[in-house]
Amino acid sequence: MSYEYIKYGQEEKDFIEKIEEISGQNIYSCYQCGKCSAGCAFSNKMDKTVNQLIHLIQMGQKEKVTSANTHWICASCLTCTIRCPREIDVAALMEAVREYILREEPERVKIADIPKDDLEKLPNIALVGNFRKMTG
Amino acid sequence: MVKYSYFPGCNLKTDARGFEKSAIAVSKRLESELVEIPNWNCCGTVHTMTTDNLMKRIAPVRVLARSRKHVGELNDANNQVVTLCSMCNSTLKIVEKEVREDEEKLKVINYQLEEDEEEYSNDMEVKHYLEILRDKIGFEKVASAVVKPLKGLKLSPYYGCMLLHPEEAKIDDEEMPSVLEDLIESLGAEVVFSPLFKYCCGSYHIVEEKDIVTHQVLKIVQAAIDRGANALVVACPLCAYNLDQQQKMYMETTGRKNILPIFYFSQLMAVAMGEPLEINHFEDHKIDPRRLLKELKLEG
Repeated sequence: MSYEYIKYGQEEKDFIEKIEEISGQNIYSCYQCGKCSAGCAFSNKMDKTVNQLIHLIQMGQKEKVTSANTHWICASCLTCTIRCPREIDVAALMEAVREYILREEPERVKIADIPKDDLEKLPNIALVGNFRKMTG
Repeated sequence: MVKYSYFPGCNLKTDARGFEKSAIAVSKRLESELVEIPNWNCCGTVHTMTTDNLMKRIAPVRVLARSRKHVGELNDANNQVVTLCSMCNSTLKIVEKEVREDEEKLKVINYQLEEDEEEYSNDMEVKHYLEILRDKIGFEKVASAVVKPLKGLKLSPYYGCMLLHPEEAKIDDEEMPSVLEDLIESLGAEVVFSPLFKYCCGSYHIVEEKDIVTHQVLKIVQAAIDRGANALVVACPLCAYNLDQQQKMYMETTGRKNILPIFYFSQLMAVAMGEPLEINHFEDHKIDPRRLLKELKLEG
Protein backbone atom coordinates (compact mmCIF):
# COMPACT_ATOMS: atom_id res chain seq x y z
CA MET A 1 0.00 0.00 0.00
CA SER A 2 1.28 3.39 -0.91
CA TYR A 3 0.62 6.69 0.81
CA GLU A 4 0.30 10.12 -0.68
CA TYR A 5 1.22 13.17 1.34
CA ILE A 6 -1.15 16.08 0.80
CA LYS A 7 -0.81 19.74 1.58
CA TYR A 8 -3.39 21.17 3.98
CA GLY A 9 -2.93 24.89 4.49
CA GLN A 10 -4.86 28.14 4.13
CA GLU A 11 -5.45 27.65 0.40
CA GLU A 12 -7.10 24.29 1.05
CA LYS A 13 -9.22 25.69 3.86
CA ASP A 14 -10.35 28.58 1.64
CA PHE A 15 -11.42 26.16 -1.07
CA ILE A 16 -13.51 24.12 1.36
CA GLU A 17 -15.11 27.27 2.74
CA LYS A 18 -16.01 28.52 -0.73
CA ILE A 19 -17.64 25.22 -1.74
CA GLU A 20 -19.60 25.21 1.52
CA GLU A 21 -20.67 28.79 0.96
CA ILE A 22 -21.92 28.26 -2.59
CA SER A 23 -23.69 24.99 -1.79
CA GLY A 24 -24.92 25.82 1.70
CA GLN A 25 -23.83 22.34 2.82
CA ASN A 26 -21.54 21.14 5.59
CA ILE A 27 -18.96 19.05 3.76
CA TYR A 28 -17.96 17.21 6.94
CA SER A 29 -21.47 15.77 7.32
CA CYS A 30 -20.41 13.15 4.77
CA TYR A 31 -19.17 9.92 6.36
CA GLN A 32 -18.30 8.26 3.05
CA CYS A 33 -20.96 5.54 2.93
CA GLY A 34 -20.96 5.70 -0.87
CA LYS A 35 -24.73 5.57 -1.35
CA CYS A 36 -24.61 8.58 -3.71
CA SER A 37 -22.18 6.82 -6.04
CA ALA A 38 -24.00 3.48 -5.78
CA GLY A 39 -27.27 5.00 -6.98
CA CYS A 40 -25.80 7.44 -9.50
CA ALA A 41 -26.91 6.72 -13.07
CA PHE A 42 -23.61 8.08 -14.39
CA SER A 43 -20.99 6.61 -12.02
CA ASN A 44 -19.50 4.50 -14.82
CA LYS A 45 -18.66 7.64 -16.80
CA MET A 46 -17.03 9.55 -13.95
CA ASP A 47 -13.26 9.44 -13.43
CA LYS A 48 -13.89 9.94 -9.71
CA THR A 49 -17.10 8.73 -8.16
CA VAL A 50 -19.29 11.23 -6.31
CA ASN A 51 -18.16 10.17 -2.83
CA GLN A 52 -14.51 10.24 -3.94
CA LEU A 53 -14.98 13.82 -5.11
CA ILE A 54 -16.60 14.74 -1.80
CA HIS A 55 -13.64 13.18 0.03
CA LEU A 56 -11.27 15.33 -2.02
CA ILE A 57 -13.33 18.43 -1.19
CA GLN A 58 -13.15 17.50 2.51
CA MET A 59 -9.37 17.55 2.17
CA GLY A 60 -9.40 20.81 0.22
CA GLN A 61 -7.66 19.28 -2.80
CA LYS A 62 -8.73 21.96 -5.26
CA GLU A 63 -6.65 20.82 -8.25
CA LYS A 64 -7.84 17.22 -8.02
CA VAL A 65 -11.45 18.30 -7.57
CA THR A 66 -11.57 20.80 -10.42
CA SER A 67 -9.72 18.52 -12.86
CA ALA A 68 -12.17 15.63 -12.32
CA ASN A 69 -15.07 15.17 -14.76
CA THR A 70 -17.54 14.12 -12.05
CA HIS A 71 -19.34 17.44 -11.65
CA TRP A 72 -19.59 17.93 -15.42
CA ILE A 73 -21.06 14.45 -15.97
CA CYS A 74 -23.62 14.99 -13.17
CA ALA A 75 -26.95 15.86 -14.82
CA SER A 76 -28.60 17.12 -11.62
CA CYS A 77 -31.16 14.31 -11.44
CA LEU A 78 -30.95 14.65 -7.61
CA THR A 79 -31.17 10.90 -6.89
CA CYS A 80 -28.15 11.26 -4.56
CA THR A 81 -29.74 14.20 -2.77
CA ILE A 82 -32.96 12.40 -1.89
CA ARG A 83 -31.11 9.26 -0.75
CA CYS A 84 -28.24 10.68 1.33
CA PRO A 85 -28.58 9.30 4.86
CA ARG A 86 -26.84 12.42 6.20
CA GLU A 87 -29.32 14.64 4.34
CA ILE A 88 -26.60 16.40 2.38
CA ASP A 89 -27.75 18.03 -0.84
CA VAL A 90 -25.09 16.13 -2.80
CA ALA A 91 -26.20 17.55 -6.16
CA ALA A 92 -25.74 21.05 -4.71
CA LEU A 93 -22.12 20.16 -3.97
CA MET A 94 -21.66 19.15 -7.63
CA GLU A 95 -23.27 22.44 -8.63
CA ALA A 96 -20.96 24.32 -6.27
CA VAL A 97 -17.88 22.80 -7.94
CA ARG A 98 -19.27 23.70 -11.38
CA GLU A 99 -20.02 27.25 -10.22
CA TYR A 100 -16.59 27.58 -8.58
CA ILE A 101 -14.99 26.84 -11.95
CA LEU A 102 -17.50 28.79 -14.08
CA ARG A 103 -17.03 31.95 -12.04
CA GLU A 104 -13.41 31.98 -13.25
CA GLU A 105 -13.84 30.34 -16.65
CA PRO A 106 -17.42 30.92 -17.72
CA GLU A 107 -17.48 28.87 -20.93
CA ARG A 108 -17.42 25.13 -20.36
CA VAL A 109 -19.69 24.95 -23.40
CA LYS A 110 -18.96 27.48 -26.12
CA ILE A 111 -22.25 28.38 -27.72
CA ALA A 112 -20.51 29.50 -30.92
CA ASP A 113 -19.04 26.00 -31.33
CA ILE A 114 -22.38 24.19 -31.29
CA PRO A 115 -23.29 23.13 -34.83
CA LYS A 116 -26.01 25.32 -36.34
CA ASP A 117 -28.04 22.25 -37.17
CA ASP A 118 -28.07 21.26 -33.49
CA LEU A 119 -29.13 24.74 -32.40
CA GLU A 120 -32.08 24.58 -34.77
CA LYS A 121 -33.14 21.03 -33.91
CA LEU A 122 -32.62 20.88 -30.15
CA PRO A 123 -35.56 21.85 -27.96
CA ASN A 124 -35.33 25.07 -25.92
CA ILE A 125 -35.51 23.13 -22.69
CA ALA A 126 -32.23 21.32 -23.56
CA LEU A 127 -30.40 24.45 -24.69
CA VAL A 128 -31.47 26.69 -21.82
CA GLY A 129 -30.84 23.91 -19.30
CA ASN A 130 -27.40 23.22 -20.68
CA PHE A 131 -26.34 26.87 -20.81
CA ARG A 132 -27.53 27.43 -17.23
CA LYS A 133 -25.30 24.57 -16.07
CA MET A 134 -22.34 24.89 -18.41
CA THR A 135 -21.79 28.64 -18.69
CA GLY A 136 -21.18 31.28 -16.05
CA MET B 1 -66.34 24.65 -15.01
CA VAL B 2 -63.36 25.15 -12.66
CA LYS B 3 -60.54 27.18 -14.17
CA TYR B 4 -56.83 26.87 -13.52
CA SER B 5 -54.12 29.41 -14.20
CA TYR B 6 -51.85 27.42 -16.49
CA PHE B 7 -48.13 28.00 -17.10
CA PRO B 8 -47.04 26.34 -20.38
CA GLY B 9 -43.27 26.89 -20.43
CA CYS B 10 -41.25 27.19 -23.61
CA ASN B 11 -41.37 23.66 -24.99
CA LEU B 12 -45.12 23.26 -24.98
CA LYS B 13 -45.31 25.91 -27.67
CA THR B 14 -42.73 24.22 -29.91
CA ASP B 15 -41.54 20.61 -29.75
CA ALA B 16 -44.25 19.44 -27.38
CA ARG B 17 -47.28 21.27 -28.77
CA GLY B 18 -49.22 17.98 -28.89
CA PHE B 19 -48.70 17.67 -25.12
CA GLU B 20 -50.31 21.08 -24.53
CA LYS B 21 -53.15 20.81 -27.02
CA SER B 22 -54.20 17.36 -25.86
CA ALA B 23 -54.05 18.42 -22.19
CA ILE B 24 -56.17 21.52 -22.76
CA ALA B 25 -58.73 19.50 -24.73
CA VAL B 26 -59.10 16.85 -22.02
CA SER B 27 -59.13 19.47 -19.26
CA LYS B 28 -62.28 20.95 -20.84
CA ARG B 29 -63.86 17.53 -21.01
CA LEU B 30 -63.15 17.05 -17.30
CA GLU B 31 -64.66 20.45 -16.47
CA SER B 32 -61.41 21.87 -15.14
CA GLU B 33 -60.09 24.11 -17.86
CA LEU B 34 -56.41 25.05 -18.16
CA VAL B 35 -56.26 28.75 -19.05
CA GLU B 36 -52.89 30.10 -20.15
CA ILE B 37 -51.29 32.95 -18.19
CA PRO B 38 -51.00 35.94 -20.48
CA ASN B 39 -47.51 37.40 -20.81
CA TRP B 40 -45.64 34.51 -19.17
CA ASN B 41 -41.86 34.09 -19.34
CA CYS B 42 -39.45 31.13 -19.21
CA CYS B 43 -39.03 29.74 -15.69
CA GLY B 44 -35.31 29.18 -16.22
CA THR B 45 -35.63 25.44 -16.91
CA VAL B 46 -33.18 23.99 -14.39
CA HIS B 47 -33.25 25.22 -10.83
CA THR B 48 -30.06 26.71 -9.45
CA MET B 49 -28.74 24.90 -6.38
CA THR B 50 -26.43 27.72 -5.37
CA THR B 51 -27.27 29.68 -2.23
CA ASP B 52 -25.83 32.99 -3.33
CA ASN B 53 -27.33 33.63 -6.76
CA LEU B 54 -30.72 35.36 -6.69
CA MET B 55 -30.56 36.34 -10.37
CA LYS B 56 -31.57 32.87 -11.48
CA ARG B 57 -34.58 32.97 -9.16
CA ILE B 58 -36.14 36.11 -10.58
CA ALA B 59 -37.76 34.43 -13.60
CA PRO B 60 -39.71 31.80 -11.62
CA VAL B 61 -40.88 34.36 -9.05
CA ARG B 62 -42.09 36.58 -11.89
CA VAL B 63 -44.09 33.61 -13.19
CA LEU B 64 -45.71 33.23 -9.76
CA ALA B 65 -46.52 36.96 -9.60
CA ARG B 66 -48.10 36.96 -13.06
CA SER B 67 -50.05 33.84 -12.31
CA ARG B 68 -51.38 35.45 -9.12
CA LYS B 69 -52.62 38.39 -11.16
CA HIS B 70 -54.13 35.99 -13.69
CA VAL B 71 -55.99 34.08 -10.97
CA GLY B 72 -57.62 37.38 -9.94
CA GLU B 73 -58.98 37.79 -13.47
CA LEU B 74 -60.41 34.26 -13.71
CA ASN B 75 -63.78 33.29 -12.31
CA ASP B 76 -63.92 30.20 -10.20
CA ALA B 77 -60.16 29.78 -9.77
CA ASN B 78 -58.02 29.22 -6.69
CA ASN B 79 -54.48 30.35 -5.97
CA GLN B 80 -52.82 27.59 -7.91
CA VAL B 81 -50.59 27.67 -10.94
CA VAL B 82 -50.69 24.45 -12.94
CA THR B 83 -47.87 23.13 -15.10
CA LEU B 84 -47.63 20.26 -17.56
CA CYS B 85 -43.85 20.19 -17.97
CA SER B 86 -42.21 18.38 -15.08
CA MET B 87 -39.10 20.57 -15.26
CA CYS B 88 -41.17 23.78 -14.87
CA ASN B 89 -43.10 22.11 -12.06
CA SER B 90 -39.93 21.34 -10.18
CA THR B 91 -38.30 24.76 -10.68
CA LEU B 92 -41.41 26.71 -9.70
CA LYS B 93 -42.12 24.54 -6.66
CA ILE B 94 -38.58 24.82 -5.31
CA VAL B 95 -38.45 28.59 -5.71
CA GLU B 96 -41.96 29.01 -4.27
CA LYS B 97 -40.80 27.21 -1.14
CA GLU B 98 -37.50 29.10 -0.96
CA VAL B 99 -39.09 32.55 -1.02
CA ARG B 100 -41.83 31.45 1.38
CA GLU B 101 -39.19 30.48 3.91
CA ASP B 102 -36.83 33.39 3.33
CA GLU B 103 -38.46 36.83 3.39
CA GLU B 104 -35.16 38.56 2.74
CA LYS B 105 -34.72 36.69 -0.55
CA LEU B 106 -38.24 37.60 -1.66
CA LYS B 107 -37.69 41.24 -0.78
CA VAL B 108 -34.61 41.48 -3.00
CA ILE B 109 -36.37 39.66 -5.86
CA ASN B 110 -39.47 41.85 -5.54
CA TYR B 111 -37.21 44.86 -5.83
CA GLN B 112 -36.29 43.56 -9.31
CA LEU B 113 -39.95 43.03 -10.23
CA GLU B 114 -40.86 46.57 -9.20
CA GLU B 115 -39.69 47.88 -12.55
CA ASP B 116 -42.66 46.15 -14.21
CA GLU B 117 -44.96 47.12 -11.34
CA GLU B 118 -45.18 43.53 -10.27
CA GLU B 119 -44.92 41.99 -6.85
CA TYR B 120 -45.15 38.52 -5.39
CA SER B 121 -46.51 38.00 -1.90
CA ASN B 122 -46.17 34.30 -1.15
CA ASP B 123 -49.73 33.39 -1.99
CA MET B 124 -49.51 30.86 -4.78
CA GLU B 125 -49.29 27.10 -4.85
CA VAL B 126 -47.66 25.19 -7.70
CA LYS B 127 -49.34 22.04 -8.96
CA HIS B 128 -48.53 19.60 -11.70
CA TYR B 129 -51.55 18.65 -13.82
CA LEU B 130 -51.12 15.03 -12.69
CA GLU B 131 -51.73 16.20 -9.12
CA ILE B 132 -54.92 17.97 -10.22
CA LEU B 133 -56.05 14.80 -11.99
CA ARG B 134 -55.37 12.67 -8.92
CA ASP B 135 -56.45 14.99 -6.09
CA LYS B 136 -59.11 17.27 -7.56
CA ILE B 137 -60.67 15.48 -10.52
CA GLY B 138 -60.07 11.88 -9.47
CA PHE B 139 -59.28 8.91 -11.69
CA GLU B 140 -62.86 7.65 -11.44
CA LYS B 141 -64.04 10.72 -13.28
CA VAL B 142 -61.24 10.26 -15.80
CA ALA B 143 -62.33 6.64 -16.33
CA SER B 144 -65.95 7.70 -16.83
CA ALA B 145 -64.91 10.09 -19.62
CA VAL B 146 -63.20 7.30 -21.56
CA VAL B 147 -65.06 6.35 -24.74
CA LYS B 148 -62.35 4.20 -26.28
CA PRO B 149 -60.44 2.10 -23.71
CA LEU B 150 -56.80 1.75 -24.71
CA LYS B 151 -56.95 -2.03 -25.04
CA GLY B 152 -53.74 -3.60 -26.22
CA LEU B 153 -51.45 -0.77 -25.14
CA LYS B 154 -48.82 -2.04 -22.72
CA LEU B 155 -47.49 1.14 -21.22
CA SER B 156 -44.41 1.57 -19.11
CA PRO B 157 -44.51 4.82 -17.10
CA TYR B 158 -41.23 6.73 -17.26
CA TYR B 159 -41.29 9.39 -14.56
CA GLY B 160 -37.86 10.84 -15.17
CA CYS B 161 -36.21 12.79 -12.36
CA MET B 162 -38.09 16.02 -11.95
CA LEU B 163 -41.54 14.68 -11.07
CA LEU B 164 -40.07 12.90 -8.05
CA HIS B 165 -37.00 14.93 -7.04
CA PRO B 166 -36.21 16.80 -4.89
CA GLU B 167 -38.29 16.53 -1.72
CA GLU B 168 -39.79 20.04 -2.22
CA ALA B 169 -41.04 19.30 -5.71
CA LYS B 170 -42.12 15.66 -5.72
CA ILE B 171 -45.69 14.91 -6.74
CA ASP B 172 -45.68 11.33 -5.43
CA ASP B 173 -43.57 8.87 -3.42
CA GLU B 174 -40.02 9.30 -4.72
CA GLU B 175 -39.11 5.61 -4.74
CA MET B 176 -42.48 3.97 -5.47
CA PRO B 177 -44.81 6.39 -7.29
CA SER B 178 -48.22 5.34 -8.59
CA VAL B 179 -49.90 8.37 -10.17
CA LEU B 180 -49.04 7.47 -13.79
CA GLU B 181 -49.92 3.82 -13.15
CA ASP B 182 -53.35 4.80 -11.81
CA LEU B 183 -53.95 7.10 -14.75
CA ILE B 184 -52.95 4.42 -17.28
CA GLU B 185 -55.29 1.92 -15.66
CA SER B 186 -58.17 4.38 -15.67
CA LEU B 187 -57.71 4.69 -19.45
CA GLY B 188 -58.06 0.95 -19.91
CA ALA B 189 -54.44 0.22 -20.83
CA GLU B 190 -52.07 -2.26 -19.22
CA VAL B 191 -49.29 -1.01 -16.90
CA VAL B 192 -45.84 -2.51 -17.37
CA PHE B 193 -43.49 -1.82 -14.47
CA SER B 194 -39.88 -1.07 -15.34
CA PRO B 195 -37.25 -0.69 -12.61
CA LEU B 196 -35.68 2.14 -14.61
CA PHE B 197 -38.81 4.32 -14.25
CA LYS B 198 -36.75 7.25 -12.97
CA TYR B 199 -33.28 6.40 -14.29
CA CYS B 200 -32.04 9.77 -15.60
CA CYS B 201 -32.16 10.09 -19.41
CA GLY B 202 -29.09 12.35 -19.49
CA SER B 203 -31.14 15.54 -19.61
CA TYR B 204 -29.34 18.60 -21.02
CA HIS B 205 -26.25 16.56 -21.97
CA ILE B 206 -28.01 16.09 -25.31
CA VAL B 207 -26.38 19.39 -26.28
CA GLU B 208 -22.71 18.53 -25.71
CA GLU B 209 -22.40 14.86 -24.69
CA LYS B 210 -24.89 12.99 -26.87
CA ASP B 211 -23.28 9.59 -26.19
CA ILE B 212 -24.20 9.83 -22.52
CA VAL B 213 -27.84 10.33 -23.45
CA THR B 214 -27.81 7.50 -26.00
CA HIS B 215 -26.39 5.11 -23.42
CA GLN B 216 -29.06 6.03 -20.86
CA VAL B 217 -31.90 5.91 -23.38
CA LEU B 218 -30.97 2.45 -24.67
CA LYS B 219 -30.94 1.08 -21.13
CA ILE B 220 -34.31 2.67 -20.26
CA VAL B 221 -35.95 1.42 -23.46
CA GLN B 222 -34.49 -2.09 -23.23
CA ALA B 223 -35.66 -2.49 -19.62
CA ALA B 224 -39.22 -1.65 -20.68
CA ILE B 225 -39.10 -3.91 -23.76
CA ASP B 226 -37.78 -6.83 -21.71
CA ARG B 227 -40.86 -6.59 -19.50
CA GLY B 228 -43.26 -6.53 -22.44
CA ALA B 229 -44.03 -2.83 -22.93
CA ASN B 230 -45.03 -1.53 -26.36
CA ALA B 231 -44.75 2.20 -25.49
CA LEU B 232 -43.40 4.59 -22.87
CA VAL B 233 -45.41 7.29 -21.07
CA VAL B 234 -43.73 10.55 -20.06
CA ALA B 235 -44.53 13.98 -18.57
CA CYS B 236 -41.32 15.82 -19.47
CA PRO B 237 -40.62 17.34 -22.91
CA LEU B 238 -36.87 16.82 -22.46
CA CYS B 239 -37.22 13.14 -21.53
CA ALA B 240 -39.55 12.78 -24.51
CA TYR B 241 -37.11 14.41 -26.91
CA ASN B 242 -34.12 12.42 -25.66
CA LEU B 243 -35.92 9.07 -25.70
CA ASP B 244 -37.46 9.71 -29.11
CA GLN B 245 -34.53 11.30 -30.90
CA GLN B 246 -31.75 9.03 -29.61
CA GLN B 247 -33.74 5.88 -30.35
CA LYS B 248 -34.29 7.09 -33.89
CA MET B 249 -30.64 8.00 -34.31
CA TYR B 250 -29.56 4.59 -33.01
CA MET B 251 -32.08 2.83 -35.24
CA GLU B 252 -30.77 4.66 -38.31
CA THR B 253 -27.09 4.06 -37.56
CA THR B 254 -27.25 0.43 -36.37
CA GLY B 255 -30.46 -0.94 -37.86
CA ARG B 256 -31.82 -1.74 -34.42
CA LYS B 257 -35.48 -2.77 -34.59
CA ASN B 258 -36.40 -2.80 -30.91
CA ILE B 259 -37.86 0.63 -30.42
CA LEU B 260 -40.70 2.10 -28.39
CA PRO B 261 -42.88 5.08 -29.30
CA ILE B 262 -43.23 7.81 -26.67
CA PHE B 263 -46.57 9.20 -25.48
CA TYR B 264 -47.26 12.16 -23.24
CA PHE B 265 -49.83 11.10 -20.66
CA SER B 266 -52.29 13.70 -21.96
CA GLN B 267 -52.09 12.34 -25.50
CA LEU B 268 -53.23 8.95 -24.23
CA MET B 269 -56.11 10.64 -22.42
CA ALA B 270 -57.09 12.48 -25.60
CA VAL B 271 -57.06 9.24 -27.62
CA ALA B 272 -59.11 7.41 -24.97
CA MET B 273 -61.60 10.26 -24.71
CA GLY B 274 -62.17 10.33 -28.45
CA GLU B 275 -60.61 13.70 -29.25
CA PRO B 276 -59.56 14.17 -32.89
CA LEU B 277 -56.17 12.54 -33.44
CA GLU B 278 -54.67 15.71 -35.00
CA ILE B 279 -54.54 17.60 -31.70
CA ASN B 280 -51.84 15.22 -30.48
CA HIS B 281 -49.44 16.30 -33.26
CA PHE B 282 -48.02 12.81 -33.52
CA GLU B 283 -46.27 13.96 -36.70
CA ASP B 284 -43.78 15.83 -34.46
CA HIS B 285 -42.60 12.57 -32.89
CA LYS B 286 -39.47 10.97 -34.29
CA ILE B 287 -40.93 7.48 -33.83
CA ASP B 288 -44.51 7.75 -35.03
CA PRO B 289 -46.91 6.37 -32.39
CA ARG B 290 -49.72 6.23 -34.96
CA ARG B 291 -48.35 2.95 -36.30
CA LEU B 292 -48.95 1.27 -32.97
CA LEU B 293 -52.36 2.91 -32.56
CA LYS B 294 -53.34 1.69 -36.04
CA GLU B 295 -52.17 -1.82 -35.25
CA LEU B 296 -54.35 -1.85 -32.15
CA LYS B 297 -57.29 -0.20 -33.99
CA LEU B 298 -57.23 2.80 -31.68
CA GLU B 299 -56.60 5.33 -34.40
CA GLY B 300 -60.04 6.33 -35.61
